[in-house]
Amino acid sequence: MIRKAAIAGLGAVLAVLAGASFHRGRHLAEPLVAGPGVARVATLGDYFAPLKGGVNDAHVYILEGQAPGGTVLLLGGTHPEEPAGRLAAWIFAERAELGQGRLLVVPTANRSASTVTRLGGAYPPDFTVPTAWGGQKFRMGDRWSNPLDQWPDPEVYLHYPSRQQLAYVDIRNLNRAFPGRPGGTLTERTCYAIMELVRREKVDIAIDFHEAELQYPVISAIVAHERGADLAAAASMFTSSFEGFSIGVENSPKALRGLSHREIGDASGAISLLLEAPEPFLDATRGRTDRALLLTGRDEFVVRAGRRGLLFEKIDENGWPIDVRVGRHTSTVLQILENWTADRPDRGVVVAGVPRYAEVVEKGVGAFLTDPKTAPPGRLFRE
Amino acid sequence: MATIVTALYYLLTAFVAVLLAVNFLKRKNWQEEALYIIVLVPFLLRLLRLK
Amino acid sequence: MSATASATMILAVMVAAFVAAKLLKVSTELALFAAALAGALAGGQGVAPRHLVEGAFTYFDIVLIFVTATLFMNLFKESGAAAFVVRAILRRFHRRKAPLFVLLALLLLVPGALTGAGSVTVLIMGGMAATVLRTMAIPGPRVAAIVFIIAGLSAAAPPVNLWAMLTAAGVNMPYVGFFLPLLVPCVVLALATIFILGAGAKPVDLAKALAELPEAPAGMNWLRVATPFLVFFLLVIAGRVFPFNLPVLGLPLMFAAAGAAALAVSPAKIAFFRVSRETVHQLLPLIGTLTCAGVLVQVMALTGVRGLIAITTVTLPVTAVFLTLFLTLPVSEAVLMWGAAPVLGVPLVLLFNTIGLDPVVALAGMSVIWPLGDAVPPTAIIGRLTAATVGMAEPYGKLLKASLVPAAIIAAAGTLMVVFSKKLALLTVF
Repeated sequence: MIRKAAIAGLGAVLAVLAGASFHRGRHLAEPLVAGPGVARVATLGDYFAPLKGGVNDAHVYILEGQAPGGTVLLLGGTHPEEPAGRLAAWIFAERAELGQGRLLVVPTANRSASTVTRLGGAYPPDFTVPTAWGGQKFRMGDRWSNPLDQWPDPEVYLHYPSRQQLAYVDIRNLNRAFPGRPGGTLTERTCYAIMELVRREKVDIAIDFHEAELQYPVISAIVAHERGADLAAAASMFTSSFEGFSIGVENSPKALRGLSHREIGDASGAISLLLEAPEPFLDATRGRTDRALLLTGRDEFVVRAGRRGLLFEKIDENGWPIDVRVGRHTSTVLQILENWTADRPDRGVVVAGVPRYAEVVEKGVGAFLTDPKTAPPGRLFRE
Repeated sequence: MATIVTALYYLLTAFVAVLLAVNFLKRKNWQEEALYIIVLVPFLLRLLRLK
Repeated sequence: MSATASATMILAVMVAAFVAAKLLKVSTELALFAAALAGALAGGQGVAPRHLVEGAFTYFDIVLIFVTATLFMNLFKESGAAAFVVRAILRRFHRRKAPLFVLLALLLLVPGALTGAGSVTVLIMGGMAATVLRTMAIPGPRVAAIVFIIAGLSAAAPPVNLWAMLTAAGVNMPYVGFFLPLLVPCVVLALATIFILGAGAKPVDLAKALAELPEAPAGMNWLRVATPFLVFFLLVIAGRVFPFNLPVLGLPLMFAAAGAAALAVSPAKIAFFRVSRETVHQLLPLIGTLTCAGVLVQVMALTGVRGLIAITTVTLPVTAVFLTLFLTLPVSEAVLMWGAAPVLGVPLVLLFNTIGLDPVVALAGMSVIWPLGDAVPPTAIIGRLTAATVGMAEPYGKLLKASLVPAAIIAAAGTLMVVFSKKLALLTVF
C-alpha cells in the first residue's frame, strides 16, 4: 500500500509540474501596443459571430491612412510555430504609419494553435526576444489547433469543399482548411471568419507569413496565386536586386487544396500571397531543440544535411537568426506594397515607420517592439 | 453535434482512466503499477483540460 | 563540445541506462522510460517533467484507438462470434487444405488490419488459428511462426498502419494512396507464409479440431457476426460520403460503437466491465511501450539525439541504406516499437523523396519490414505474446528459427518495394 502510494505520488508530482507548465504556456499573455497607425481594433468574431469570445476570436488591428486607397491583409500565426511571421505582424501593428489605404493585421490567426506545443517535438513553451527593457516573451505554439479546442481528429481529413484527402492531423491546420465553412470545425470556422474579413473589408491583397524547414522544397519564396504572379515577380526582382537577400516566386499549385495562397484567391477578389522564410528549428535533422535554436537558427546537423545536398536553402555556421527571418518578411511586404501602389495608385497602400531587412538585421527585432509599460491608455492589447 | 462527440471523447477518456486506476490498485508488482501510472498521467491531464 | 559529440554522449548514457535497467530485470517499457530520464539528465535538462509528460501524450490518440479496437475485438470474441466463424470455416473446408489456408490467413489479417496492432490478431484469432493448424500436424514452432508473421503483416495491412501514419504525419504527407501498396504485399506475403510453413500439413482431423475449439453459443448466427462490422464500416463510409453533414467521429468512437453493437447482439451474457478491465491489462505492455516510446522520442528530440540518428541515417550512401533496411528497421522496432517511425522513418522518407523515389510506396515497403522486429529482443513483444497464446512448448528460439524463411522473403519484398517504388507508384490510386 505504501509502495502504491509512493508510485502514485511520484506520478502526481510529475503530472502537477507538467500540468502547471502546460497551463502557463496556454495562458501566457503577450502584450501588443497598438501603434500610431492603428485606427481601431476588431476581432474575427466581428466578421463571424460564432467565434466571438472564443479562443480563436483573434485581434484584427486596422491601420488607416489619410488618403483613401486599397486594403492589404497581413496574417501572422497561421502556423504559430513559425515565429518570424508573428513577429513581422507585431512590427507592422506596433510601428506602421499609413499614408494611403488600409492595412489589416492579424498577428495570431490561429490563436488555439499558439497555446500548445508539438507532441514529441520537445519545443520550449515560450521564447524571449531581447529588447532594451529586458525582453518580451512569446508563446511558442504549434502548427495545429490545440486538441483541447478541437477533438477528435478523423481517420482521414477531407478538405471542404474539394474533398481532397489530407493527413488526419491537418484537420487542425489553418493552412489546410481555407476557405473554411460556417458549420465546420473550429479551424474551418476560423478560416471562414478570415474569408468574411477579406470579403467584407474588400481586401486587395492577403499576405500570409510562414517559415519552413530547409528540407522543404518551397522555401525563401513568395507563393503566389495566379492573379498575383506579376506582382510577386516584380517584388521578388526588386527585393533580390536592392535588399541584400534573394527571394523566389512559386506558383500556387491548383491541385493542392486548403492553402491560403490558393483558396483566398479563389474564394474572393483578393490576390493571395504566402511568404516563406527558412527556419532550421523545424528540420527533422535538427540537433538540440531549444530556444537558442529557435532564435539563432544555428544547427550543426542541419549544416551537415546541407553539405550532403539534402536542403533547398543554403545554411552555414551563421544559421538563420530570427532578425534575418523577420527582416525578410518586412522588406518583402514593403516591396510588394510599393510595386502594387506604383501599379494601382487608386488602390495604393503607402506605409512608413516599418524597418526593412538591413535595419532589422542591424538593430534586432527587439528594437522595433514597443515596451508595454509605455503604452498609452487603451492601446495595450493581449494576444 | 460536434460538441456531443467531443463530450463522448471525454467520457471515453474518463472510462479508460477508471480502468487504468482500478487495474493499478489490483496489481501486486511495482513495475506494472509504475507503468499504469505513466500511462494514466496523459488521461488525467486531458480530463483536467491541461493538455 | 560539438553537437555531434554531445549528442553521442547523451545517446551513450541512454543506451547504458536502458541496458542497466534490463540487467536489473526491469521491464522493457520502464527501461525505455529510464533511458529517457537518463537522457534528459545527461542533456542538462534535469528531470524535465514537461517534456516527459508531453512525450507521454505523443501517442495518446493511438492508445485510445488501441483500447477501443481491442475492446471491440474482445467483446466480439466473448460473444462467441469468432469461434462461430472458425468452426463454420472448418466444417466447410476441412478436407481442402488450400482454401482453408487462404481463409485462415485472411481471418488472421483482419483484426490487425483494423486496429494497426499485430497483438490484437494474436489475441483474437491466434489461439483458434493455432488449434486448427496443429490438428493438421504442423509442428508447434511453425504454427507459432505462421501466427506471428501474419500478425505482423496484419499490423502493416490497411486501413490502419501506424508506422505509415506516424511517418507520413512527420513529413507533412497525407496518409493517402497507401491502400493498395499495403494490401497487395500483405496479402501475398501472408499467403506465401502459410503455404511455405504449412507445407506437408495433413488434412484436418475435424472431430479433434472441433472438440478443441471453443464452442459457439446457441443463437449465434451470421447476422450477429456481421452486425458489429457493419456498424463500423457504415460509420467509416458515412464519414467519407457525407464529411460535411456529419461531425468528425474518429476511429476510437467508431470502434466503441462497433463494440456496443457486439455487446448488444451477443447471445451470450458478457461481463462488460470485467472484459474492459482485462482488455486494458492485456494491452498494458503495448500502451505502456507506446507511451514510454513517446517519452523517449521527445527526450531524443530535446537533447539532439534524434537529430544525430536522423543525420547519420540520411548521410549514409543510399545503397548502404537500401541494403541495411532489413536490419535497421526491425532493430529500431525492437527498441522503440512505433517510436521507430518518427525517429527513423521520417528521415528515411525525406531521403527517399530527395533522391526521387515514390515516398508512399517506399514507406509502404518499409512498413512491411518493420513488424519483423516485434519478435526480436529487447521488446520481442508480439513474438513472446504469440508463443504464449498458441501454447508453444518449445524454447522461444525455435519460433525465431521457424520464422527465418518467411522473414527473409518479407525483408526482400519490402526492400524491393523501396528500390522500385517509382515503378510501383501506379498502386497509389487510393
